[in-house]
Amino acid sequence: MLQKKVLIIVPAYNEEDRIKKTVEEILSTGIAAKVLVINDGSRDDTAKKAKSSGAHVISLPFNTGIGGAVQTGFRYAFENDFDIACQVDGDGQHDVSYIGALIKPILENESDMVIGSRFVPPFMGYQSSFVRKIGINFFSHLISFLCSVKITDPTSGFRAYNKKMIHIFSQSYPADFPEPEAIMIARLYGARVKEIPVEMRKRQTGHSSIRYLATLYYMIKVTFAILLNLLKGKKSNAATTYVRST
Amino acid sequence: MSLKILSVLVGLFSFFLVIELVRREKLTFKYAFGWLFIALLAVFFSIFDRTLEGMAHWLGFELVSNFIFFVLLCFFVFLSILLTTFLCEQDSRNDAMAQKIGILEMELKEFKERIEGKDG
Repeated sequence: MLQKKVLIIVPAYNEEDRIKKTVEEILSTGIAAKVLVINDGSRDDTAKKAKSSGAHVISLPFNTGIGGAVQTGFRYAFENDFDIACQVDGDGQHDVSYIGALIKPILENESDMVIGSRFVPPFMGYQSSFVRKIGINFFSHLISFLCSVKITDPTSGFRAYNKKMIHIFSQSYPADFPEPEAIMIARLYGARVKEIPVEMRKRQTGHSSIRYLATLYYMIKVTFAILLNLLKGKKSNAATTYVRST
Repeated sequence: MSLKILSVLVGLFSFFLVIELVRREKLTFKYAFGWLFIALLAVFFSIFDRTLEGMAHWLGFELVSNFIFFVLLCFFVFLSILLTTFLCEQDSRNDAMAQKIGILEMELKEFKERIEGKDG
């Protein structure tokens, strides 16, 4: 089998305390991949620290949000003809030793998109807060129902994508609530989405974007965003021809 | 009668203001066109105010002023939605540009490093 080109996309915003460790952990897994940190307009030394630890760094001139940062990675992957893109958060929450397991279903052409889930047996080690769990549960059921595929961890940002998905998301990636919305979009394109069990740590730096008091408001907004995606209708497979646009 | 003159003047003022803004390149024709059309419409209805009255009564408005306020309100709601779509379009173009710049900047830096490495 030919060696596949793998890109590991690490979106990071003000993660100078954790980024070095995250990059070093990824590099120490020994996976033949290019590690690309997307410094999303950080005001601290995220870019410098990522570069010194051996990653390639794209610095965006201003903060575009997680969706914009991840899409930059997809653009780069598409323009440089990568076969697989793997998304790992820069805050050290994801246990990078699972990257191999994450890209395996793509290498074996079982899936187009693989999501690392905290809630698939046997691990289920990471326990998030009660309110957050309600939110995740709600979206898990909603997306599973709408996409007719079982998704237990729709907000997980620990993912892998094949060339088809790289092409689709390099052109358009949701900006508002990228993780759950991306699943919907992938399904609209008829993508095969699969979850694999992974372990995650509690967030070590930064703050979760889902705050306790804002959970309900967040849930309503995301539900609307998801339902609006549904209205966009089935997508053609025109974007799957892998022809690079100029 | 003086009210009629005033409203014609306001309409004409808006019309020439927009033209002046296009001339000074503060507005592009694409966005100015709609305003010119509305200004002319305002002048037309100021002169032929009977038409406006007829329309208002036909639609069931007791007062013509209420009809005018209603039309204006609808217009501004529609305009706000339109402006929001422009804003979103600009926003995503801005993001796409930032992403392109970021990628190009990294590639340029890496290219420079490679050249410097060869020279050194």
